[in-house]
Amino acid sequence: MRKSLFLWALGWAIVCLVLSWGSFTLAEEEYKFDPSEIEKKPYYIGGYLEFRPVIFGLDRDASLYKLKFFKRDEGKTIEEYNGKLQLEGSFEKGIARLFVRSNFDLKYSYLGWDHNETKTMIYEGYLSLKPTPSLSFKFGKQILLWGKGYAFNPVAFVSKPKDPDDPELALEGYITASADYIKSFQGPLKTISITPVIFPVYKDTNDDFGKVNKLDFAGKLYLLLYDTDIDFIAMTGGSRTSRVGMDFSKNITTNLEIHGEFAYVNNQTKKVIDSQGNTSDSEFDAKSYLLGLRYLTASDTTFIFEYYRNGTGFSHLEMKDYFTFIDKGYDLFLLKGNKSLLKKASDVTEGNYGRSNPSKDYLYLRISQKEPFNILYFTPAITTIMNLNDQSFSISPELLYTGIKNLEIRLRAIGLLGGKWTEFREKQNDYRLELRVRYYF
Amino acid sequence: MKTILICLFALLITVPGYAIDGTQLLKQIDRNLNPESYEMYRKLINVEPNGRKMEYTFYSVKKGLDKLAGVFLAPASEKGRSTLRLGDNMWLYIPNVGKPVRITSLQSVIGGVFNNADILSLDYAAEYDVQNVEEKGNEYFLQLKAKTKTVAYDRLNLWADKNKKLPVKIECLTEAGMLIKTLYFKEVKDFGGGIVRPSVIETDSPLYKGYKSIMIFAKIKQKDFKDEVFTLTFMPNIESLR
Repeated sequence: MRKSLFLWALGWAIVCLVLSWGSFTLAEEEYKFDPSEIEKKPYYIGGYLEFRPVIFGLDRDASLYKLKFFKRDEGKTIEEYNGKLQLEGSFEKGIARLFVRSNFDLKYSYLGWDHNETKTMIYEGYLSLKPTPSLSFKFGKQILLWGKGYAFNPVAFVSKPKDPDDPELALEGYITASADYIKSFQGPLKTISITPVIFPVYKDTNDDFGKVNKLDFAGKLYLLLYDTDIDFIAMTGGSRTSRVGMDFSKNITTNLEIHGEFAYVNNQTKKVIDSQGNTSDSEFDAKSYLLGLRYLTASDTTFIFEYYRNGTGFSHLEMKDYFTFIDKGYDLFLLKGNKSLLKKASDVTEGNYGRSNPSKDYLYLRISQKEPFNILYFTPAITTIMNLNDQSFSISPELLYTGIKNLEIRLRAIGLLGGKWTEFREKQNDYRLELRVRYYF
Repeated sequence: MKTILICLFALLITVPGYAIDGTQLLKQIDRNLNPESYEMYRKLINVEPNGRKMEYTFYSVKKGLDKLAGVFLAPASEKGRSTLRLGDNMWLYIPNVGKPVRITSLQSVIGGVFNNADILSLDYAAEYDVQNVEEKGNEYFLQLKAKTKTVAYDRLNLWADKNKKLPVKIECLTEAGMLIKTLYFKEVKDFGGGIVRPSVIETDSPLYKGYKSIMIFAKIKQKDFKDEVFTLTFMPNIESLR
């Protein structure tokens, strides 16, 4: 029944695609450019509507499956039907601009209907003032996504972490006050820009960021020097420990770009659990870095390759201990109905072992081919993320079609592979199959 | 002796008439096409063999020889996507992603037949040297060679109207002489401010048989911008220049 629903959705998308392919045949016409099309209005409203059914193939032997599903049996697969409405609007008058981007998420899964909380519906909402092209100010909820990495950004100190499985997804911002000052020059140093940020962390204001009742400060200095983008980044204030970083990006040739990031985090803390369930907290200075490249071949194949060293991550042994402890807790639950160990494992999961890149070393590779066989607007791609510490990995082929005006269709599968007690092997799923249909307006 | 003197005199007065300064001519063609600093509205249309079309509306600004920035105004799926070019450096900003990323200059920012060279083109004289120039009836024929390897098309064959000094046709070729695409300049229009130039560029390509791309120019205006407009930090705000 569930699978048939997913297949029905997939079939529907394909039928739409085929019908639209044939229905656009038009007679030869004169090309027009109506001046009203470029008339500037003080306001703007737009966004997209998304439908995203997903099938998860559960791995009933995996540790994280046991942690989540220990008291329920959902069979071999579960389905999820996601709807999203992203609405954005702006109003401009003189030097001022008001911008709002909101997201309404609706989900139907084995747990029933669910939607995102009201306070997380506004992704961005700010007032910007731009007295001159060199100087601007922003007040409100905004995204400050710093760093040059595609899948990982160790220097993104003031934003929520990206999902490396979908790095281009819009993120929810934080409430901040910031300014941008830009100065251009002739010579090897072409641009300097300075971005100071005031970042309040109080009850009901950015309280998921770190310790509350703190006023944090962050800043970025950007240079375009010898055709290289360079950023120096810092953050301090108390809700998180102080941290500094830098990044760079440069075109080596017309079809090869290299980039990198380095972050130094003072007094980083980490909670580790051993296979017996003993927890210990450690404090250390963490160094994270990333090196990457983007390469385009003559046949329009793009390679994005990144190595990420996560200085705050867990070693293979620490990850193995965590998974072993979950397995022990599950065995105890099966034997005696006692879920205390699973509860303990659950406590160290959130924001710790459970974050999106919990290990130390990762490789990311994405290969995409623009319009193969001259099929316009069609881009197949394959992405892999490998945990170098335990050699487990995910592999994700996808097909993207954007050939219908304002419609984007993406079909994607993700397979998770690895040995026992490795990161990708112990995730709750073996595979995931996902269709995403977006209509922009 | 008298004959020799007459011949020498004849040579002196006739040679300047035939020696066309190709570089100067190319610069003149560039200036006739656009002012050095401008704002411009264009519509880019991809037409498939069955007549199916995809249209993009693009606003761009240019300053000097090597500073160019632009933003898509339509369709909704592309709105706000902006690009910046500073010489050989090129960046792409996608509003949903929230930060500019450096792209290779050969990477296409939209799907279809258009590439960056078509959308973010600098002056021809800034990117090409004139190797040869000839007069052919009512037209000049210029053979151009890219100054560096960073230019999308290594060679151009350019036919220009002799009176208007405006391009009529341009063939874009690889280093080996393979034809990549042909641009046809049509419908000369007065845009005001002394700008009289073709308002339509049609493109076909042997690589995309049956496909056609059309660029329609709606508004071109000489306008000066501050250098700070052509920076990474300003990219999300390009539309505010309109």
